[in-house]
Amino acid sequence: MALKQPASRTGSSDALLPAGSPGNVIAPPPASRKDAGTSPVPDVLRKVVLAAFLLYCVLPAAWIIAAMTKDNGQIFSTFGLWFASPPHLFENLASLFTYQSGIFQRWFANSLLYAASITLGSTLICAMGGYAFSKYDFPAKQFLFNFILGTIMVPSTALVLPLFLLLNKVGLVNSMWGVILPSLVNPFGLYLMKVFWDSSLPNELIEASRLEGANEWQIFWRIGMPLMQTGLVTVALLCFVGAWNNFFLPLIVLSEESLYPLTLGLNVWNSVSSAAGGKPVFNLIALGSLISVLPLLIAFVVLGKYWRGGLTAGATKG
Amino acid sequence: MRRHRNPALLFLAPFLTVFAAFYLAPVLYAIYLSLFIRRRVGIGPAKEVFGGLTNYLRAVQDTDFLNGLKNMFMFGVIQVPIMLGLAIALALLLDQSRGVFMKVCRTAFFMPYGIPTAIGALIWGYLYSPNLSPFNQVMGALHAGVINFLSPEVILFSIANIVTWTWTGYNMVTLFAALQNIPRELYEAARVDGATRWDIVRTIKIPLLMPTLKLLFIFSVIGTSQLFTEAFVLRPLGYVADNITPNLYLYLTAARDANYSYAGAMAILLALLIFVISGPLLRQIGSR
Repeated sequence: MALKQPASRTGSSDALLPAGSPGNVIAPPPASRKDAGTSPVPDVLRKVVLAAFLLYCVLPAAWIIAAMTKDNGQIFSTFGLWFASPPHLFENLASLFTYQSGIFQRWFANSLLYAASITLGSTLICAMGGYAFSKYDFPAKQFLFNFILGTIMVPSTALVLPLFLLLNKVGLVNSMWGVILPSLVNPFGLYLMKVFWDSSLPNELIEASRLEGANEWQIFWRIGMPLMQTGLVTVALLCFVGAWNNFFLPLIVLSEESLYPLTLGLNVWNSVSSAAGGKPVFNLIALGSLISVLPLLIAFVVLGKYWRGGLTAGATKG
Repeated sequence: MRRHRNPALLFLAPFLTVFAAFYLAPVLYAIYLSLFIRRRVGIGPAKEVFGGLTNYLRAVQDTDFLNGLKNMFMFGVIQVPIMLGLAIALALLLDQSRGVFMKVCRTAFFMPYGIPTAIGALIWGYLYSPNLSPFNQVMGALHAGVINFLSPEVILFSIANIVTWTWTGYNMVTLFAALQNIPRELYEAARVDGATRWDIVRTIKIPLLMPTLKLLFIFSVIGTSQLFTEAFVLRPLGYVADNITPNLYLYLTAARDANYSYAGAMAILLALLIFVISGPLLRQIGSR
């Protein structure tokens, strides 16, 4: 196996590609590449189209931001995309955190707990598993890898519903572990890790370390892992997003409201608000929704270059 | 050096353990369950009796299940190409952009993916709801009549819109990253050869995007087969048929009707269908 370039050579996150995919064949592109002059589309049209799609993407966010300034009646009576005056933002915030004895904070804490433990656990076992597939040979290796990847195609219902029955038998339903443990399995994360290991840790380095007497675990942990920063962050981010957004699994497994993550909790409020005779709290749902997506938005903006690089590596390696 | 056991096993063990316990075991259990049917014996409660392939035969004739499959196919041939077409077009357009505008667009387009599906569907539910929707407010002010996005005729398109909104950006960013990695030398060489701008798009950019596009297509098809959350979340707000997506119907069969064996059979059929559709495509990608 040829010595692979370390990922940060050109300084551009988008240059993280294993050899053989388009872009690495000729030369790594310079970081501030422009390709002015190859567009057949006039500038104005291009900007209009992109701006239009931009508006489409932020439309729901605009509605939420407007809605969080209104009390419940105003949500129905005022124009959806503009604020109420005077704004009720602070009253809404106060109501949000005191409604039903502060269950919203509970849900937020649950989401954090689930997401953090799932992210840590899943990233670690995917890193270890990916390392095994990348750096070792063993019988039925290719078959096993394809088999694991194949399970991505199984519909969630085929997994989650019988999982519920099994968990019931071991008494894990309606508990945190019932949500955390099954979510540790991430076939796509395993695939990504293997791809990253392939391109981050040259075999020569492993051989040299073995000659110096390091054992396999030391090579993995002390030498390999530090080189895998981008890969680890990418997979961790994907795990976090998946875990934070988890809906179907908690829906099936949990029946106690105090264990719900935010996705489930807000939906319960929604069902109750929409039902006849239920107390409508659409303004709180709107505000709660916004707060619930803040951690992800922050993560995306701060860790942007990692997931962009990761997506490329995953998609073009094949 | 000693090597009495392949160290690969140690590294694989954690993953394989949870995989076997929480992925394989449920699937095998589902297959096992699907072979049983509930039958009333006398006036006692319904019991699970071995029924062989009865559930499967029932599933392929079940109009509700077939309706869900039909919707799934419609999604596959309408929504997925539209979404991927948009993604390509936007990626190509964004490839021409630079600076702050490009960065803002790139982040903003990706945002919908980061919003939990349940929350996104919730918000769109409000945007669709006849009482709350700003669209209808604007249309009402113009006396142009009101569209009920949640009515049975329109609901599938409304769900398709949510899916498109959520995933186009994700697909676009992936394609965009691939585009940005095409070396400039290719463009310059083509220009020297006298290629027009459209030629460059047609003969360089799009062909180099094909592998990525195929992978995204497969992910989209798999995603379509798993549609659940959007339909489920919209149920309190409007009229959503029980059979609108296969997964919703499966869920109701299991959770509401407690017919786990039948739900299991349908899930297995669904999985087989996806394997059959995606298998050839995946093999094509793998053998590049």
